[in-house]
Amino acid sequence: MRRTVFLASLLVMGLGGIVAEPRSFVTSAQEKAASTAEVKIDNFVFGPAAIIVPVGATVTWINRDDIPHTVVSTEKVFKSKVLDTDEKFSYTFTKAGEYPYFCSIHPKMTGKVVVQ
Amino acid sequence: MNPFDVKTALLARHAQHVVLIHFPLALFIAGVVFDFLAEKTRKRGLREAAYYNLLGAAIFALPAVITGILAWQFQLEGQKLKGILLMHLVLGSTSAMLIWVAWALHVRARRQLPEGLPVFRLVLETAAVAIIGFTGHLGGFLSGVNGPS
Repeated sequence: MRRTVFLASLLVMGLGGIVAEPRSFVTSAQEKAASTAEVKIDNFVFGPAAIIVPVGATVTWINRDDIPHTVVSTEKVFKSKVLDTDEKFSYTFTKAGEYPYFCSIHPKMTGKVVVQ
Repeated sequence: MNPFDVKTALLARHAQHVVLIHFPLALFIAGVVFDFLAEKTRKRGLREAAYYNLLGAAIFALPAVITGILAWQFQLEGQKLKGILLMHLVLGSTSAMLIWVAWALHVRARRQLPEGLPVFRLVLETAAVAIIGFTGHLGGFLSGVNGPS
């Protein structure tokens, strides 16, 4: 009897572990997704134009357009070099706040990163 | 942005080169057309028209080049260019040189005799129009006229 209870306990713990494991995996994946974000530059548009990320998140801009663009913070917090097609620029936001930015070649192109 | 606000228009980021570049382009192409017509018809009036259009192109090429270089220095902080931007810079500089050379040939001929105009200038002017056209195409591409309004 004692042996059966012991085996049943092991089985329950094992099942619990199997169920719990995917949950912890999903949580870490979500955390990773939240700490990185990507903004695509295409057809003279930053997409998405505004993103919300947590403090410490790294945002990567990737130029999918045929022509060069830049990513320049309006408040001079960050500034990329000229990004040709498929080139990337990343910046890690360590302080909460709003960070508007634009393309210095095409000032009509604007976007915003909100760090919470 | 109010387009009728002078201060806004003058201080608008990167706008000056894009605005000014149309003057030497149009004047030079018009000057070359008049020069070809003058060569064909031998009319003095057409030769004069060619001269003054080329003079205007030569004058307006200077601020166009200066504002282009300033845009590179201020907007891109003079960073090393590559790709379309580099091609635009090289072809733009070449275009300006060709405009000034074509105008100089007309000035020299004007100081001597109209017959002093060398025929090879027409080849040079044709090549200049082609290079200017391609430079303008790249410039339009860079400025985003093909993008969403």
